[in-house]
Amino acid sequence: MKRHNFGTVVSFEFLRTVTKPKFWIITLAVPAFLAIVIGLTTLGAKATNSATNNKFTSLTFTYTDPGHWIVPEVAKAMGGTLAADPAAARAAVQAGTSEANFDYPSDPGTGAITVMAKDVGLVDSAKYAPYAQGVFRASITAKIGDPALARWATTTPTTDVLTYADGVQSPGFMGAIAPGIFMLVFYLTIMMLGNQMLNVTLEEKENRVTEMILTTMNPATLIVGKVVALSLLGVLQAVLVSLPIFLGSRLFGTAFDLPNLDLSQVPITPLPTLIGFLLFVGGFMLFSGLLVAIGSVMPSAREAGSAFGAVILCMFIPLYALSLVVSDPHSVIVQIFTYFPLTAPITAMLRNALGSLSVVEAGVVLVILFATAAAFLWLGVQLFRTGSIAYDRRLNIGKALGLGRKAA
Amino acid sequence: MTSTDCVLDVRDFRMDFGATTVIRDLSFDVRRGETFGLLGSNGCGKTTTIRALLGIYTPTAGTLLVEGKRYEPGSGVRLGYLPEERGLYKKEPVLDVMTYFGRLKGMTRSAAQTWSQGYLEAVGLSSHAKLRLDKLSGGQQQKVQLGVTIMNDPDILILDEPTKGFDPVNRRLLMDLIEERRRAGATIVIITHQMEEVERLCDRILLLKDGKAEAYGTVADVQDQYGGQAIRLGFSGVLPTSTHFRVVSAETNYAELELTEGSEPTPVLRELLDAGVEVRSFDATRISLDEVFLRVYGAEASTEGDATPRQAVA
Repeated sequence: MKRHNFGTVVSFEFLRTVTKPKFWIITLAVPAFLAIVIGLTTLGAKATNSATNNKFTSLTFTYTDPGHWIVPEVAKAMGGTLAADPAAARAAVQAGTSEANFDYPSDPGTGAITVMAKDVGLVDSAKYAPYAQGVFRASITAKIGDPALARWATTTPTTDVLTYADGVQSPGFMGAIAPGIFMLVFYLTIMMLGNQMLNVTLEEKENRVTEMILTTMNPATLIVGKVVALSLLGVLQAVLVSLPIFLGSRLFGTAFDLPNLDLSQVPITPLPTLIGFLLFVGGFMLFSGLLVAIGSVMPSAREAGSAFGAVILCMFIPLYALSLVVSDPHSVIVQIFTYFPLTAPITAMLRNALGSLSVVEAGVVLVILFATAAAFLWLGVQLFRTGSIAYDRRLNIGKALGLGRKAA
Repeated sequence: MTSTDCVLDVRDFRMDFGATTVIRDLSFDVRRGETFGLLGSNGCGKTTTIRALLGIYTPTAGTLLVEGKRYEPGSGVRLGYLPEERGLYKKEPVLDVMTYFGRLKGMTRSAAQTWSQGYLEAVGLSSHAKLRLDKLSGGQQQKVQLGVTIMNDPDILILDEPTKGFDPVNRRLLMDLIEERRRAGATIVIITHQMEEVERLCDRILLLKDGKAEAYGTVADVQDQYGGQAIRLGFSGVLPTSTHFRVVSAETNYAELELTEGSEPTPVLRELLDAGVEVRSFDATRISLDEVFLRVYGAEASTEGDATPRQAVA
């Protein structure tokens, strides 16, 4: 491969994309859209909470309590009056002369609190149920006599589990994050770059430029150069999308109740992380080679699209058997998914993150992935050499590879 | 001829696609500095031969050499190729596309840009340099395509159906560019159906028929092989029957006569005058390549029209 032409292809393909406004608009639209949605949702939720909280303070109601769970002083302090005539109290609500009536059950374990209330709109009417529950909770707390004791009686304490393997503390669920992140990156890569990979060779074919190209450079140089350029564009897109999200969460996280992205708490497990990275690289190469080969065979982007759908389905079909991959990684179906090239990346990355992929298994999968990727890339180059000249027709693969040729 | 005189060398070339043999036992060479015509009817294997010569196809058998070795892009041979199927990156600016191809042909970025700007200026497209190619008219795109072909001053120029689809302005431009490269000592191979162009430009030709060499040599050699000398006659009267010539075509006051083997023009003129024919013009020449083409391909050529040649790979 001529280094000069390789660099020329990479820079041409990279620059012609990043110099187009469309690239920046589409890429930055993702974080901008996210920011708008989060902003609107947060502001809307705050307005709703604010409105709901304000209207709670002035509620007056009647109630019935055959089980004697409600403390009258507590109810009175919250605007409640024990109904002397339950039927009349309910009728008053129906007539609109009373705001609300709460019928507490004899046994809260089996019965529900029935709330009858004046309709004040879909959002504001939601205030009644928590208010009725609040009266009940405050009464029970008063009966126990110790607010802290009452709170712990209804709260499940948090638990920290420390497990050990070979004398070393296991990272637990957090340990799956570092190796598992490559599965997420793999998914995003395929979603963002898949169609472009498919078009790597289609563009030359559709523009009738193949012969000019093939007489000025090796097809392998062109294809690998394009794949590298696309990968660089993918990295740039990932940075452009994630950087505003990361900065936004750091700067405005508190104001918008966003989760704090503190990556320092994520433990790095070197071997699984390395295996996860290699599986990602192998899977990406396999995927690139396969799509390049498909693009070389198909005459147009539209026809290639259907084949692309089948590849995506194959790649992500292990996720349909997720529970089996998690619970029984040595079952026959999971083993098939682990070693079949198209399903191997996702299955192996998942098992690697969950700790059920041994080093030996990982080694075998990596060999399969890299060998298949090389075979697909080779096939893609061979098919491009002749397939891209069959401008308007789907390529006959056998003829393109010289199969069935007469002996020389 | 020394080995350094031979720029393109094809020996015993055969090309099969599946069970179909497209080319068989083809041998020819193209010498340095000459203009060579590769002729034939549609589907006879001309484009396949060029693609195999340029390494796009792998030959089933035989050797195809460019400057003494199998052609590989980037091997140092300065080659310009105008394929029959033409196209460039249509959504990119003109100057960017030309610069890209210049760099692929070994020029530096600045040299490629300078050359491209000079060329665009020369063909009246300097104001279009920043425009996307698909914003240009068909004729303007053809000019850009020609520019890309001759970038880096190629020593070998291969033109497949060069005037196909070209308007008269671009046809003239192409002819000027060919002439310019010819004067600069470049070796030129033209694949064409246009016999006028062949007669005007080519030193030697090869006629392919059904994947085999039907005729090969200088234009005069091939003309001799298919009828030798002809006489274009302006006359009045009745043409006599003669053993010295055969009437190829005859109209009221014009006829084309083909001389029989061993005959010379002078006895024919004497015979015509003796027969009382009033001769107004007597032009002794060779049979036209158009006539040769018709004789070689006959009905096959006449039914093909100007259709795009069938591609060899199905």
